[in-house]
Amino acid sequence: MQKVGIVGYYQVKLYSDANYGRYEMIFEASRGALDKAGLKKKDISTVISCTNDYYDGRTISNCFTVEVGGGYMADESKVEMDGAHAVLYGLMRVLSGNHNLAVVWGGSMASCYPYHAARLYETDPTWERPLAYVNDITSAGFQMRAYMEKYGVTAEEIAKVVVKNKKNAAKNPLALEEAQLANLSVKDVLNSGIYADPVTELMVAPPCDSVAALLLAPEKQALKITDKPVWIKGVGYNQDAYYLGDRDLSGCKSMNLAAKMAYSAAGIKDPSSEIDVAELFEAYAHEELIFAEELGFADKGKGAEINSAINGDLPINPSGGALGGNPPCGTGLIRVIEAVKQLTGEAGEYQVKGAKKAVASGQIGMCAQNNILYVLEGN
Amino acid sequence: MSKMTQRKSLEYIKKDYKRTRTLPGSWYLASYKFKFNITHMKPFLEKLKEKKLIANQCSSCNRVFFPPRLVCGKCFVKPDKWVDIRDTASVSTYAISYLKDPETGEVQQRPMVLVHHDGADTTSIAELAPDVNVKDTYVGMPIKVHWRDERTGGIMDIEYYDKVDDDSDDLRYKK
Repeated sequence: MQKVGIVGYYQVKLYSDANYGRYEMIFEASRGALDKAGLKKKDISTVISCTNDYYDGRTISNCFTVEVGGGYMADESKVEMDGAHAVLYGLMRVLSGNHNLAVVWGGSMASCYPYHAARLYETDPTWERPLAYVNDITSAGFQMRAYMEKYGVTAEEIAKVVVKNKKNAAKNPLALEEAQLANLSVKDVLNSGIYADPVTELMVAPPCDSVAALLLAPEKQALKITDKPVWIKGVGYNQDAYYLGDRDLSGCKSMNLAAKMAYSAAGIKDPSSEIDVAELFEAYAHEELIFAEELGFADKGKGAEINSAINGDLPINPSGGALGGNPPCGTGLIRVIEAVKQLTGEAGEYQVKGAKKAVASGQIGMCAQNNILYVLEGN
Repeated sequence: MSKMTQRKSLEYIKKDYKRTRTLPGSWYLASYKFKFNITHMKPFLEKLKEKKLIANQCSSCNRVFFPPRLVCGKCFVKPDKWVDIRDTASVSTYAISYLKDPETGEVQQRPMVLVHHDGADTTSIAELAPDVNVKDTYVGMPIKVHWRDERTGGIMDIEYYDKVDDDSDDLRYKK
């Protein structure tokens, strides 16, 4: 496989109610990424955007964003999933050999619509919706309870994930201000408002506004553009069943299969010793533990035993993860960007020392139905 | 029915078609908000109150945008200059639409035009005055802004475009 490098990135700071127009935010991200890499508009050969009609409140959500996203007179297309899936589309475009620079941008403004209410429409209209109001939070409650019951994990152990991620977010200047909680305690997490018992308010990744952009280039161009490209060594993706009832919610089969695919492409045999840092899209705190287990960092049910602090054995989400702010459609892309920052040593206060190999994940759907995993390596 | 029998033909799917039912659905857009930037349109809207038109210009490719744009897609930069443009324009291209009144059933012929303002490089969508005969419309026809009597500083202050004569005073360059 031809090597594809990540040569630039930009992320707009996360805001709960941004004083930005939608187009301005997209322009800042894609222009910012180009400026960071020292490139011009004419260098862009393909643009992949990631937005969602349901989240933007209009159909064909990319039709107004052509100029601001850099798609004017370029090859342009859209992915309506997570930003990490848009990276996959961009990667495929570059691997086709027809493109020298792909701009991938994704994000949305959660302040413009009721995010969790819109997700009520995710359940099946014939069999599920008439019987119960189930949205992403309620289904996360199903998953968290199933996981806790099966492996005897306590709510305190899951709350510790929140404490760690919010503390990490406090070190990340781009994280959501409301999520930057350096002095949070396990008790605060468990006593915060109940969303869908056992899921409490602080265990939910807070929806917010942001757009992020990433630049991909084939090996030859990547080395011309920057001295420190980050290579995509492997990618894996998998989709679980749509109906919650068809799945084992105590684990995440699709993440397991995605990881197998990515590891075999990257030649990773022992993930817990070979991977230096992980940036996982945990829409809910317990998902971080489930993902860590499925990625082979720990045995089943032992995810909470990993020392995943920034200076720990295997740092997970040093940037604060999705619990530090979750702009729908942009979060997976931001995870990839954060992993890139770790590998190029640009992470500042939350830098993991000597990080050489990283994984970054994206997800979409209820209870992480569809997962995608990247294995990244520094130059 | 076994798997093998199913594979032989698609009849087992087709026989279900007669049982399809259609239900109405809706999307509650009222709960959505739409944010947009006003800094690049404010000077333009303010000038409309004074019956004046301005456009923004990209200092990289010198294109003049009317109505103003947030970003010049070609250069991928923000247009940073404001220039005055005239209220006279010409028809760049047009199409005639037939609008039917749902209550009376009366059909109206209305020419929808792309207007090329003198001094601008882009065209904008507009309608011609109701008294302009559809058959008289032609590409390159000189027209002029017809302002609304009470202007509120919105794009709707331009009510429609009046036809002007080829030798009209309006077309003459004035300082």
